[in-house]
Amino acid sequence: MVIAVFVAAIAVINHGCSRSNDPDSEGGHDSLSFDLNDPKIKERLGEDDGYAFAIMYGADIHGSLETCG
Amino acid sequence: MGGLARRVSYIKAFKQRSNTEVPTLSVDAGNLFTDDRFSANQLPAEVMTKNKWVVKGYGDFHHDAANVSYVDLPYLGELLKKDGFDKRVEEYPFIERLISANIHPMTDQHRELAPYVIREVNLKRGVPGKKLRVGIVGFSEPKPTGPNAAETVYAGFRIDDPFEAAKKVLPELKQKTDFIIALAYMDMGSAQRLASDNPEIDSLIGARQTSNMEEPQHFNRATITYSYNQTKYLGELRVYVRGDGTTENQINRYVALDSDIPDDPAAQEVVTAAHTEFTKEQTTNATAAAARNPNPLLGGDSPYVGVETCAGCHEKENDVWVKSRHGHAMATLEKKNQQFDNECVGCHVVGFQKGGFQSLYTTPQFANVQCEECHGPGRDHAANPGKGYGFMSTPVGCVKCHKEPNDPNFDFAVYWPKIKH
Repeated sequence: MVIAVFVAAIAVINHGCSRSNDPDSEGGHDSLSFDLNDPKIKERLGEDDGYAFAIMYGADIHGSLETCG
Repeated sequence: MGGLARRVSYIKAFKQRSNTEVPTLSVDAGNLFTDDRFSANQLPAEVMTKNKWVVKGYGDFHHDAANVSYVDLPYLGELLKKDGFDKRVEEYPFIERLISANIHPMTDQHRELAPYVIREVNLKRGVPGKKLRVGIVGFSEPKPTGPNAAETVYAGFRIDDPFEAAKKVLPELKQKTDFIIALAYMDMGSAQRLASDNPEIDSLIGARQTSNMEEPQHFNRATITYSYNQTKYLGELRVYVRGDGTTENQINRYVALDSDIPDDPAAQEVVTAAHTEFTKEQTTNATAAAARNPNPLLGGDSPYVGVETCAGCHEKENDVWVKSRHGHAMATLEKKNQQFDNECVGCHVVGFQKGGFQSLYTTPQFANVQCEECHGPGRDHAANPGKGYGFMSTPVGCVKCHKEPNDPNFDFAVYWPKIKH
């Protein structure tokens, strides 16, 4: 019981750290729900041609987490 | 197209494709929150709810910074209130990633925004092992009120000259960082001026006008790119670094967030919860309004009469309409629990905010894209049938909804046969 509580506490602490500090973490939800080798996904990702870092950007969502219809 | 759940999926895939070797920053260039129906210094409760879920969604799914634009100020007034600020930040840490170098509260009841945030990324390519300090700074133009007029005071905030603010903040940020991203909510001409005047900027990411400018522009050291409206296409700027640590090149891509990109399940849960809470609040409001004044427009006050009246004489045309997507436009919103979202319903009903559709509870007879949405209000025509009513200029009339951000693939020659009548 004590060990289980300890492990759970460590998990919570680690999860919290990854959320706040790790720029490569998607808020602690990093697992993919689809096949990375799907041809459509591969086409959309384009070639990995050696870029050192990337900036993903957007704007104008105006209060909507999802677009209409 | 678009949406948080697809955006999260794509970014995860992008990282995993390169075995997480590539640090990835996520930013928003402005207009994150809605100011829908802001009046008397207040936003309606359900609008506050929508915005609250944006703060949660962007915080839960890792965004490094969001630029504050004048559009965001009505809700920002709630977020930055000193009263309860620490508790809000504890619940929604993303609040501290909202930035602006030229927007300031007018009173001491609100906290100041940070002008910038600094993120440290560990390079594994270019100069493996180097810690690159990236500064992200935000600017907004004042609120436009006419072709050559703008308000510099809005919703309790002062919007200073972004060009003067840049001159103050960028030299300071340059001392602390290796790479500067400027987020700019302003038109292209102003963005070009900002980049031209300030050689400290490495990347300028703009918003406020829709762009399909795949090739970035270059001013001084800066690469200028522009966001697509509502992030239906995610901007992806790839930065290539030489062995000496300097930037070799920046390449821009727009990634279509269409149905080929699956929704991320965890992000979709947040989106669904947001829709559910918003719809619940709207249902409560609309039910109360309907109880106070059931069908307020049926007494003849509306210039619209609704499709049932049209069908009385135009039976053949009605048969075509019933089978068309126009005839089921509201159902597409209901499937996603968006039937009360004012940002959406205008293109799924007849006469929204023009004396026609108000809500499904008070004016269900005006749901769906009916005859009068294209042909104009028909009450006078119904009272005195005759020629002269119903002329429609196509495709000009169509593109008020079937336009670039909503329907980038609109082609009148393809669409018209589907509703020809």
